[in-house]
Amino acid sequence: MNLPYKTAAVSALVVLGVTFALAADTHKQTFNIAPSGTMNVINNAGSVVLRPATGRQASVSYTALSDKVETDCSSTPDGRRVEVRTHALAGQKPTPEESRVDYEIAVPAGVSVNISTSTASITIENLSGDFSLSSDTGQITVTGVTNSFVHVHSLTAPVTLNNLSGVHAEIMSTSGAVQMTSVTGPKVNVSTTGGDISYTGNFSGGGTYSLITHNGAISVSLPETASVDLSARSISGSVENDFPLHDKSHTTFIPTPGRSFAGTSHTGSSWVELQSFSGRIRVKKQ
Amino acid sequence: MNCQEFQEALPHIVLESGGNAEEEAHLRSCPSCAILVQDLRYIADQAKLLLPMHDPSPRVWSNIERSLRSEGLIREGRMSLMGHITLTPQMNFPSQSKSWTPLGWAITLAAVIVSAVMLVNYHPVSPVSQEVLPSPAVSSLEGTDEQLMGQVAQQPAAVRSAYEDSLKKVNTYIADAKKAVDEDPSDQAAQQHLMGAYDQKAMLYEMGTVRSLQ
Repeated sequence: MNLPYKTAAVSALVVLGVTFALAADTHKQTFNIAPSGTMNVINNAGSVVLRPATGRQASVSYTALSDKVETDCSSTPDGRRVEVRTHALAGQKPTPEESRVDYEIAVPAGVSVNISTSTASITIENLSGDFSLSSDTGQITVTGVTNSFVHVHSLTAPVTLNNLSGVHAEIMSTSGAVQMTSVTGPKVNVSTTGGDISYTGNFSGGGTYSLITHNGAISVSLPETASVDLSARSISGSVENDFPLHDKSHTTFIPTPGRSFAGTSHTGSSWVELQSFSGRIRVKKQ
Repeated sequence: MNCQEFQEALPHIVLESGGNAEEEAHLRSCPSCAILVQDLRYIADQAKLLLPMHDPSPRVWSNIERSLRSEGLIREGRMSLMGHITLTPQMNFPSQSKSWTPLGWAITLAAVIVSAVMLVNYHPVSPVSQEVLPSPAVSSLEGTDEQLMGQVAQQPAAVRSAYEDSLKKVNTYIADAKKAVDEDPSDQAAQQHLMGAYDQKAMLYEMGTVRSLQ
């Protein structure tokens, strides 16, 4: 390759790099936030990732793929509320792709965070606090959260909860599947209309666990060491159990083979209720 | 009386003097059956109107009658092929004119056969799905659901579709749970499902409203 061609190629690469850098413009802002403060995040498309912060400051990094959208970040003087909001600029009609903004947010422990998205995914890792998450279709993933309140609303968004302990979880999804692995706490309620629910873990902590669906499938896999007082009941679906349970002397319903069963294992410390209208319920030993 | 019972009585309702009180009551209350009866009566009336159009001139029938009489195939007093009664001198009643010709009978018979085929192939459709609902795509949305769909109208197509599908699924859930509660009002599980289904619907409305405000 002779010199003019080399020069042209390098110039093209530089132009492309500058264009990309301008198009994917990344910003970062920091805020003082009160220990019991609240952060509200609204981002329709893209992603929101929430991680723990060191110290008492919250930081918000965001990357917009288009100049047709703008991100507003603000906080009250006392640090009790931080607002993070993506919106289209006046007169602009960004496409779904142009509407994308990717957030990486770090917050101190104990902060309440409300995140609302349409198609953007939501990820929370290794935090404690109060989390209220809502997404129409974006994947919701919560991992390593402890001693927290986790409130999730989804339409078709899949919900994945991994390694949560001491949580009070309220999960409601219309069609999104809810997948839980090692999720324990004083109260775990999951309800779906058509989404499947799966739970893998030991239901420990003496909590109350309620998994309810209309026509989704409920699949529970627990170790033999699990101490549960378990009941499963389907109005018109099938119920299967491979987990060793002791019969209960008293139940609130008369068990019907194939439709319902109830029993305990060990001391029955946690109360587990599985209910479907027409979906299949299956309980098996790990 | 339901639509099926009404259909069984259709021939005498359409071709004869009408139905009894119960049939008339059903006719007034069921737009679907009313339209069917109206169509069948129209067909029958049109079939009658066809008769004069296809009735050949009297001269043609006179010539045929003369030929048949000359061959001894017809006698006095019998109805002629053109539909007139040929009177004998002993008969003292006035001439009776009939417009029912063989061709007319054939057409009427054809109309009856067409009507019978229609009746056999007729499947009643509820008036609601016929007139109120715009398309099958929104067949399970309720009135207030349309408002919610209007609120999310500015969202991308995939999100709108998610709302519509979710509303339909939740409405089905509510209907199933209601039916179960109706069948056994003391069934706590059914009650719990019904409350859960309404919670799901409330969630959809909350999410849709928040999305529209954003």
